[in-house]
Amino acid sequence: MNTPHQHHIHCEMNPEPAAIERLCQVIRVRGFQVTAMTAELRGSRWEMTFTVEGTRAVAMLQSQLEKLHTVTQVRTDAETEAEPARRLA
Amino acid sequence: MNGAQHILQAFNRHQIETVFGYPGGCIMPLYDALVDAENVEHVLCRHEQGCALAADGFARASGRLGVCIATSGPGATNLITGVANAHRDSVPMLVITGQVPSALIGTDAFQETDVLGMALGIVKHSYLVTDAAELPAIMEEAIALAQSGRPGPVWVDIPKDILLTDVSPAAITPAPTATTAPADISDALALLSKAQRPLLYSGGGVSLAGAEESFRNFAGQSGIPGVVTLKGIGNHDRQDPFYLGMLGMHGSRAANLAVEACDLLLVIGARLDDRATGKLDGFAPNARVIHIDADAAEFHKLRKADIAMGGDLSRLMAQFATAINAAPLAIDDWQQQCRNWCATKGFQAADNDEPEAPISGPSFVRQLSRITSDDTVIACDVGQHQMWVAQHYRFNHPRHHLTSGGLGTMGFGMPAAIGAQFACPGKTVINVSGDGSFMMNAQELATIRRYRLPVKLIVMDNQCLGMVRQQQELFYDNRESQINLDDNPDFVAMARAFDIPAISIQRSDQIRRGIETILAYDGPMLLHVAIAREDNVWPIVKPGGSNRDMLDESSQRTPGIRQPNGENPSTNAKETAA
Repeated sequence: MNTPHQHHIHCEMNPEPAAIERLCQVIRVRGFQVTAMTAELRGSRWEMTFTVEGTRAVAMLQSQLEKLHTVTQVRTDAETEAEPARRLA
Repeated sequence: MNGAQHILQAFNRHQIETVFGYPGGCIMPLYDALVDAENVEHVLCRHEQGCALAADGFARASGRLGVCIATSGPGATNLITGVANAHRDSVPMLVITGQVPSALIGTDAFQETDVLGMALGIVKHSYLVTDAAELPAIMEEAIALAQSGRPGPVWVDIPKDILLTDVSPAAITPAPTATTAPADISDALALLSKAQRPLLYSGGGVSLAGAEESFRNFAGQSGIPGVVTLKGIGNHDRQDPFYLGMLGMHGSRAANLAVEACDLLLVIGARLDDRATGKLDGFAPNARVIHIDADAAEFHKLRKADIAMGGDLSRLMAQFATAINAAPLAIDDWQQQCRNWCATKGFQAADNDEPEAPISGPSFVRQLSRITSDDTVIACDVGQHQMWVAQHYRFNHPRHHLTSGGLGTMGFGMPAAIGAQFACPGKTVINVSGDGSFMMNAQELATIRRYRLPVKLIVMDNQCLGMVRQQQELFYDNRESQINLDDNPDFVAMARAFDIPAISIQRSDQIRRGIETILAYDGPMLLHVAIAREDNVWPIVKPGGSNRDMLDESSQRTPGIRQPNGENPSTNAKETAA
């Protein structure tokens, strides 16, 4: 089994109904688990940060998030291996 | 003008003339506005799933936007399967539902469901309209979004009060047409020029992009052999000497061998679906990959591409064709190898010369293919008959083959045929179904009857869920579980109850007469075809297995393959490409 890695994702999106649910659903469906998140409505857009874990390539998740109509920007940082304690969670 | 009237105005503006729907409480303002609509034909199906699948069939057959309408609650939930079907196959669709009045949302009101939340995973995008002033812009955006890039369903959920609220007509400014420079294909051409065994692998993205002609030009001019996915059937000219047929789980041995042997795979408008690739470890093991698709999220998702190219498929194909004309490929040996495979390992089904012999599914489909005209549209359901059509019907255009590829929705065929007949009133439209699938949306016989659609209905009846039975036989030690349908209704009597004439055939010598009879009849007609219960679809790759491990009829007699989780021990079923 592949080792899960931790990634930080920054998203900006338009504040439509269900925008946050949509984003979270894509993260789950594409095989990642959210371990931390922040969200703030700044003016006319949501700014969100996620810490996620998963064994798949985060670039795949990024490309799926970028497809969402409400999402205006997605940035990911370099991956780090998830802590062992987390891995068991 | 209220919100409901504005929706109809948007339909007019975008030449949406046919919609499929079912009325109910919260969508009533739209149905009230429809009474006065002059340019919109509303088709009343008998179940909301039928509405969504008919809209899907309309879009697939025509390339235009399919539209379906339903009320809140059960109306909306009944749409779900049809919308998911469109989503999985990238079909452009606009879904309009009524919602309980804004003030009642979240109060568990009568016929309230959180449709926006439920549908998130099966739409390209969705809206809950919370302000009547936003409705015009949302309608414009939704209609454009459903058809742009990689198409898909867009769902607009509208509270009843907003349908009744006055809205200002939208000031529509046409979106600027993007002009892009020709793509740089030099790296791809360099790979292509070095390849000794290149292979085209095309899918549904070709017709979705309107690239049918440019793809055929490229395939014809390059002489590169080609395989197709289920949704790519019809991409190649029927006379293309290097066309090897469908690949994958029920693909031709020729196609799967070519994929295994190729040294360069040009994936065009396809997403490397698991039904096509089989076990990824064994898929095209010797090949470099050039992946061309409208959706960049498909690149590297399942198979790392050496070169990935997004953009307009039609334009890219034209660029490749021009370049290949200037520098033709020297792949004669490979072409000959593929032709040999096609001749000896393509899809084959012998006609049974015994007049009293029972009807075999493949033989029936081959005769259907021979008798029908080139522009016939076939809408399949899901199961063995679907694969026999994919294997043995010789399509000449991808929009003539309507099949539920990604979702595999039993019950797709009849409503899809209804939609296709509205989209293509001058064409012969045939629903080829199985006895299991037919019963999933049999209520739509009433829609065919109501509109006197000349849809031809073929029910291939083996009195069981044949595809499940086949897999239970092969992979579950022949332990049949809940597949028996020998108490099916009398399909002929059933059709006649809807005032649709019907006949039944049971023997090989009745096939031609049966097909010719329904084709000659001026109106809808059903042909019930009794087929052998034990017929299987060959070849088959075990789910999760590698495409090199195809099983065929001789494997059925090999002891040891009937193991649910074990490896296939048969050696004669394996064939390694040269």
